[in-house]
Amino acid sequence: MRDGENEAFIVDRYLESLLARRPADVTDLPPPLRATAAALVDSLPRYHPSFRFEEALAARLAGLSEPSGAADAAGELILFPATPATPVAPAAAAVDLRPGSMRRPTVIGGVLTSAAISLAGAAYVAWRRSRPPADPMARAIRAAARRRTA
Amino acid sequence: MDAARTDPARFDALYRKYVAQVYNFAVYELGDHHEAEDATERTFLSALAGLSGFEERARPEDGPEASTFRIWLFRIARNVVAERRRGRRRRPEAPLDLATAHPDPTDVEGTVVHREAAAAAWRAVNGLSGDRRRAVVLRFVHEMTTAEIAAILDRSEGAVRVLIHRGLRHVAGELGAPDRARR
Repeated sequence: MRDGENEAFIVDRYLESLLARRPADVTDLPPPLRATAAALVDSLPRYHPSFRFEEALAARLAGLSEPSGAADAAGELILFPATPATPVAPAAAAVDLRPGSMRRPTVIGGVLTSAAISLAGAAYVAWRRSRPPADPMARAIRAAARRRTA
Repeated sequence: MDAARTDPARFDALYRKYVAQVYNFAVYELGDHHEAEDATERTFLSALAGLSGFEERARPEDGPEASTFRIWLFRIARNVVAERRRGRRRRPEAPLDLATAHPDPTDVEGTVVHREAAAAAWRAVNGLSGDRRRAVVLRFVHEMTTAEIAAILDRSEGAVRVLIHRGLRHVAGELGAPDRARR
């Protein structure tokens, strides 16, 4: 394995640990790369569609899902090569309520108004809901939330 | 997933689960919320129309909820976005609405610092080309695995690792540590 590929492999392993919120203590990775990776995880925003758009599209899809509506679908079938065999674990699609993971900004439909702040939080939680709680804090937060809604 | 294939009315659950992710991917690719909405709509319409052709590749031993649906959906999104971008000359250079993006609006000083950091990160990532940018966004924003990204971008896992590594080094340079990052 060449040096570049070797470092790419090390970076990949480090990112796995970073995204799992348990950054590995790697000594063979340049500190600037580690710092940049952490900065990207914390800083790159997530954009969420507006509630109005989401509901309008949901209604349209629901209409097209009716037996008589499917044939009228405006979308056309796009052909793809064979679907890869890599499974997507549910954890890959989702959620982390742990404190260190809540810094990433969320933008809803291009505008974040004061009335939308709670929606931003809800969107963020919905986005990441399926990640299993891996530490006691996350379990505690979820338990508290369940108690509130019970 | 199986329920949605046999009963399209069940597609709503899949839509709710993935709409934000597809929209987010489109925003990063197109740099415009309205275009991202159009691309999101087209992606889900295409997915619904082609749902019967989706072939689940997850194996039982991968777990009861494992599915390759997200990969399939993002491949549709990637094609839709590519189609929309063909008629455009260049990507936008300004960060998108980051001025209002911060989880704690009561922390004014923190908001300013965070906004600047977010804008700088956005600019640096936006400066990456093609699949290098896509790989970085899918890894850092969508938190996908290398294997998932490889499947979406039609590349090997090794190639994706190199894309992300080079992207990260470029971003490190843009954010102010060029010499050390390039070692």
